[in-house]
Amino acid sequence: MNRLTMITLAVVAPVLAQAQSRIASDFEIARMQQQLSGSREFLAQLSGHMNLGDAYTTRSELSAARTRYETALNLASRQRVVTRRQSDLTGYSTATSYAALAQAKLGRGAEAFALLEESMRYSSDSAKSWNLYSSAMNALGRPKKASGAARNAVTIATREVETNPSTGNQLDLAIYQHTLATALIDSGEPADAERLLRSLLAKLQSPAFDGLRRQVEKSESFETYSTARGETSAYVSLVNRANLRLAALLESRGDRSGAKAGYERVLVSRSDDPSALSALARLSTDKERERFFIAAFDANPFSLPLIREYQRHLAGSAPSDIDTRTTGGSVRQALEHSARGRRRAAQTALDTLLQQFPGNETLALLRAETESTGRIPQFLENPRSERPLEPAAAELQQLLDARDRLAPEHRAALDSTLFTSTVSFATADAREGKTALLRGTIGEVPFRFSEPTEFHGQWAAATPLRLIYRILGFSELDGKAALLLEPLGLEPAR
Amino acid sequence: MRKLCLCIALFSSAASAQIVAPAGDRIVVAHDGVVEIYGSSRGGAPEKHPGVKNANAVIVGPDRVAILDSYANEARLIPGGLIQTAETPIAGIFIGNDLFVLARDASAVERIRPDGSRATVRVAADPAFLREVDGLIYVYSRLDGLMQAIDPVSLRVVRRATIARFASDFETDGRNGYLLMPREALIIAFPLATLVSAARIPAGTVPTDLAMTNRASVISAVRIAVADPSARRVWTIEGAQSVGGAFGRGLVRGLLGLGLYRPGDTDFPSGVDRVLSRGGITVAYDSSTRTLYRVGEKSRVIASAVGPDAFTIIGDRVAFWRDGALRYTP
Repeated sequence: MNRLTMITLAVVAPVLAQAQSRIASDFEIARMQQQLSGSREFLAQLSGHMNLGDAYTTRSELSAARTRYETALNLASRQRVVTRRQSDLTGYSTATSYAALAQAKLGRGAEAFALLEESMRYSSDSAKSWNLYSSAMNALGRPKKASGAARNAVTIATREVETNPSTGNQLDLAIYQHTLATALIDSGEPADAERLLRSLLAKLQSPAFDGLRRQVEKSESFETYSTARGETSAYVSLVNRANLRLAALLESRGDRSGAKAGYERVLVSRSDDPSALSALARLSTDKERERFFIAAFDANPFSLPLIREYQRHLAGSAPSDIDTRTTGGSVRQALEHSARGRRRAAQTALDTLLQQFPGNETLALLRAETESTGRIPQFLENPRSERPLEPAAAELQQLLDARDRLAPEHRAALDSTLFTSTVSFATADAREGKTALLRGTIGEVPFRFSEPTEFHGQWAAATPLRLIYRILGFSELDGKAALLLEPLGLEPAR
Repeated sequence: MRKLCLCIALFSSAASAQIVAPAGDRIVVAHDGVVEIYGSSRGGAPEKHPGVKNANAVIVGPDRVAILDSYANEARLIPGGLIQTAETPIAGIFIGNDLFVLARDASAVERIRPDGSRATVRVAADPAFLREVDGLIYVYSRLDGLMQAIDPVSLRVVRRATIARFASDFETDGRNGYLLMPREALIIAFPLATLVSAARIPAGTVPTDLAMTNRASVISAVRIAVADPSARRVWTIEGAQSVGGAFGRGLVRGLLGLGLYRPGDTDFPSGVDRVLSRGGITVAYDSSTRTLYRVGEKSRVIASAVGPDAFTIIGDRVAFWRDGALRYTP
C-alpha cells in the first residue's frame, strides 16, 4: 500500500477500551513497532517512525520522540539521494517533503522551510506536497504559511475530484480541508474553519463514503495516526480529528452544549479518546467530572493540559479516594498529595512513576515542582482582586518557602488579596454557641491566627471547613514555618 | 523617465543559506546573519552590514540592497534597517529606489518606498515569479497559471492572461516571456505585449530551470539553456521568433555560410537542476550533490560543496561562496 497521508493534529492519542490499565498510545505504539519490523519499504518505515514520534510526544517522552523523528529524517534524506540518482523526481520531491516534516517536528523551522521550498520546485502541482507543507508549518506555529499552502492543496484536490470523484480523491480533499481548517483556527479565522469542518464532516458521513465505512466496521478499525497509511486508517483518523477540532472550536466560542455533543460524538467511535475525555471533564457538572477525569488520566496520564486542569479542579474540591492500580490513578494521587501540601508523599509517588517512565518530561516537571525552589507563587506575580483566590496547598507551601525573598510588590499583593481554602483546625474550644479556633493546616501547610478567634456556631477540630482569610505574614508552629492568617469567615466545607 | 534597475531574486534551499549576487561590478554575499559587499578588485576587505537570520533572496537596486528572509517575513535594507514584510517574501525588484516584494502566502506585491510608505496590490494565489520589463512588473501565479502585468506607479494590474499552470520557471528576453513546464516537458513562449501563448517548444524530459544565454541577433534567435535533472543534461533551445525573423536569420546565415543553427546540449554526471547564464558564460548546478558546473561543449566541475544560491557570474568569472570565503574561477 503506497498511500500515505499526513493528517494534521494537535497530537492526541487513543487507547483500547478493553485495556483500561494501558496508556492510550500503547496500542498504536505496538502497531507501529510491528509495522517497522514487518516492512522495509520506505513509506512504511517513515510513517512508522513519524507516528511513534507523535505517540511519544503525547506521552511527554520527548527524548524518545526526538529519536524517532531523527530516524525518520535520516530515512527521508537517504531516500532523497536514492530517488535523485534514479532520476525519480516525484520520489525525490516526496522524500524531500517528508524530510521537511521531520525537521519541523524537531523544531528546526528554517531547515524545514528550505526543504519544503526545494520540494515545491518539482511538485507545485501536487496537493499532497502542499498538504505536507502546511502540516509542517502548522507544527512550527506558522499558521499563515500553513493556510496559504493548505489553500493550494484544497484547490488542486478540488479540481482532481471534479475530474475523478473517486472515494480516494474525495478522502484526500477532506484531509486537505481539515489541514486548512487547522491553519485557519491558528490564524484566528474560526468562522471559516467552522464552516469547513462542518462541511467536511457532513461529507464524510455521506453515501460517498459508505463503502469505506463498511470497511471500517468490518475491520473494526479505531486507531488514529498522524501519518495514516491506507484509506481506512485515514478515514478513521480524519473523522476523529475533525470532530475534536470542531468541538474545541465550539468550546472556545462558548457553545458548551455544542462542544459537549461534539466530544461525545468522538467517544462513540473511540470511547477512550483522551482529548475528548479531558474536555468533557472540563465541561461537565461536578458529579460527572471526576468520572471523566479518571477516564482521561487512564487514557493519557501525561498530558500537561489535563494535569493543569485537574490541579485547578483539586484546588476547589474535597479529597477523594484514588484507585492507584493504573498509571493514571498513580499520577492523580501524586497530584492530590501535592495539592494538599503533602510534599513528601507527592515526591515518593512521582519517584515511583519516574522509575517506570524514566524519560517522561511531564513527570520530571511535576517532580521539580514539588521541590522547594523558593519561587514566588503565581498568584503574587499576577494578583487578582475580584473574588477570593483558592490557592493549592502546594502554592501556599511555595509562599512559605519564598517568605524571605518577597519584594515590596509581592507583600502589597498579599495584603490586597482575599483567599479561601479548605482547612482543618488542630483544636476547637466550643462554648455557648461559639467556637474559639487558633491553629490548623491547609493540606499539610500549617497556619495560625495571631490570637484565638471566636466564631459563631459549633465547629469541630479535624473536620474540613471553609475559611476565608488574608495572609498577614509568617509565623512559627512547633519549630516549623507557618502562615499567619487573618480570618474573615468560616463555613462548612463544600 | 524612471530609472530601471537590475533585478536579482534568487531562492535558496539550504538551511544556513548563503546567497551570492552581482551588484554592478561588486558582489553581495548574504550569509550567517550578515551581508558582505565585495569590491571589484580581489582580496579587498568587504563592507559588512547586519543581515537577516535566513537569507533567501538578495535584491539589488541602484542605490540600495535588500535581503529577504522568507521564513521570518523580514527584509533587511542597506542602507536602512530591518522591516517586516507580508507573509513569505520570496522575490523582489527595485524600480528606482522603490522596493517591490512578492509575498507568496499573502498573494500580494508590496511596494516599500525609501520613506517607509507602503502600498499593496493583490495577485492570484501562489505567485511564484516576479520579473520587470520596460517599466511593468510581471507576476506569474502557478495555481491558475495566471500572468499579471502590474503598473508600478498605480499598483494596478493592467493586463492579465491565463497561460499554463504549474510552471517551474519564468524568464523573459525583453520581448517575450518563457514559462517552463516540467510535466509537459516544454517551454511556452508568449509576447509580453499580448500575454497570448505563441509557441510550445519541446524541452527535455523534466525541465526545472531556464536561463537566457544570448539575446536575439541578425543571425540567431534568442537561445535558452534548460536544466533537466531527469536527463542529466542542459538543453540549449532557440527561443520564440517570428516567421519573418526566422526567415531573415536563415538568409543571413546562408549568406555567411554558417548553415542552420544546431543547438549544442551538455551532459552531466549528475542531474543538474539550476542554470545561470550571463555575459556568454553559463553554469549549471546540481542541488543533490551541491556541485557547480561550467556549461560548454563538455561539462566541467567548477566546485563542489557549494550552496544552491551561493554562486554568480560577474564579468568573465564565476564567483562562489564556500567555507566562509568568496572564491573565483581563475
